[in-house]
Amino acid sequence: MFDLKKYRKKSPWILHYNAGSCNGCDIEILACLAPKYDLERFGVINTGNPKQSDIFLVTGPVTYRSRERLVELYTQMPEPKVVIAVGSCSCTGGVFRDMVNVEDGVDRYIPVDVYVAGCATSPELIIDGVVKALEILEQKTKEMEKPLKLFREATLQNSIVNRRHTALKVGEKDEED
Amino acid sequence: MKQTINIPLGSQHIALLEPVRFKFECENEKIIGVDSDVGFVHRGIERACTTKFKFDSIGYVVARVCGLCAITHSLSYTVAIEKLLGGEISKKAKYLRILLLELDRIHSHMLCLSHTCENAGFEAMFMRIMGDRELVMEIQELLTGNRVQFDYISIGGVNRDLSSTVALKIKENLYEVKQKVLGYMDEFTHNWSLSLKFKGIGALSLDDAYIFNAIGPLARASGLNIDVRNEIDYLPFNEVGFLMQTHSDGDINARNLVRLNEILNSILMCENIINGLPEGEIFTKIKGKPKGEAIVRFEAPRGELMYYVKGNGTAMLDRVRIKTPTFSSIPAFSHIFVGQDYADAPAILASFDPCLSCTAK
Ligand code: SF4
Repeated sequence: MFDLKKYRKKSPWILHYNAGSCNGCDIEILACLAPKYDLERFGVINTGNPKQSDIFLVTGPVTYRSRERLVELYTQMPEPKVVIAVGSCSCTGGVFRDMVNVEDGVDRYIPVDVYVAGCATSPELIIDGVVKALEILEQKTKEMEKPLKLFREATLQNSIVNRRHTALKVGEKDEED
Repeated sequence: MKQTINIPLGSQHIALLEPVRFKFECENEKIIGVDSDVGFVHRGIERACTTKFKFDSIGYVVARVCGLCAITHSLSYTVAIEKLLGGEISKKAKYLRILLLELDRIHSHMLCLSHTCENAGFEAMFMRIMGDRELVMEIQELLTGNRVQFDYISIGGVNRDLSSTVALKIKENLYEVKQKVLGYMDEFTHNWSLSLKFKGIGALSLDDAYIFNAIGPLARASGLNIDVRNEIDYLPFNEVGFLMQTHSDGDINARNLVRLNEILNSILMCENIINGLPEGEIFTKIKGKPKGEAIVRFEAPRGELMYYVKGNGTAMLDRVRIKTPTFSSIPAFSHIFVGQDYADAPAILASFDPCLSCTAK
């Protein structure tokens, strides 16, 4: 059997989506995959298939028409996944902020883990971002493996077992761990 | 019974850099109809130019219309404003503008060629060209301070001077690129997977190129000699050794060869500029507010780019209209696809070198 967890960190696959960028950051991502910067030495490969990818690189400020596709691609990716917003305009909207057809950044629609700034960003920054994303990916994998605790310990009140307020909210941690 | 199948390509696809959707209507293997949808990246830049930004900052905003031909966009806008304000810029600034314009053309064409190779399944060649493209990116960074979005041109001149060490480095790198490009010429004409595979595929005849209003390398590969650099006089292209490059076949191979020849011509122009750079200031102060109308055309790497600017004497403009090269070529694209095999569609598409973020703005 493959040990998927081990290989995921050694070889994360990238999905790239252009949500209305000016191409400036896209060609820098392409330059990253090419010989001089060579992102592939981290085992990264660019795929076109969301179902096989672990890292989602998004460029562009999210236009009105691309937002549905962005969310769709995000939901199609299997857990654990990391989202990197590449370029100023995908972090905040950049120069395109407040233009008619622009939704001001990726994080209005999907959760973003790593922000890479710069207009256009440089390949060095993108590599830094991807390396950071690998750490986050590992951490997310570990968290996924932990069993989820649904209830706190019940308390005794007037010698009656009180189960009120023992349910944990999504993402909430029990103080005991 | 329905005889045809509809196959969508895009909007997210490994062969595409940008979101565009094509719907191919196929009969067995042959494409008999195409429908394209290019509006995925529409951002509303033209409108923002008249409501959000003052005229002196728009040069940097329109550069973000497209990252590949950013320099052509900001140059066209700036020249239009300079026409309205009536200023004359120094000769040295003009030469430096051409220098960056041609460097941009070289790297854009190399990107397109590498993409064509990738779509032919020739991964090694893709890597080779992308690797050599870094030589050009390096000198762009040295000259302007950034690799892609240069923000080099401002109203009245350029923002950075060319120092003698940078000039030397540019010459060295360009010499190297030239040797590499001559090597590609050999590959593209003699290598089986690049030349024979591409010959006769996606052909556009001279008449069709004329009727469907093709521009740029697409038209020049069909033998139509149109090139805006030959027709304008705001920048002295003819002084620095511009030569029209045409080919008569009109297929993918011809487009590749036209692009390669243009790279060689651009390198020659860059060398001429550096050798004969006139003395002088790089920046002339131009005062005033734009009033009136101006139309400016330039040759972007993909064809003719047109800017129309209308000012009313205040800092806000009345209208900025951008007509981009890919937009004009879409009828020709659709015509070429009809009658081709579906399996060739990504390769044909890559050979057009479409720029969708220009088209949708
Ligand atoms: S950050 Fe700048 S260069 Fe990058 S895609 Fe956005 S506008 Fe283009």
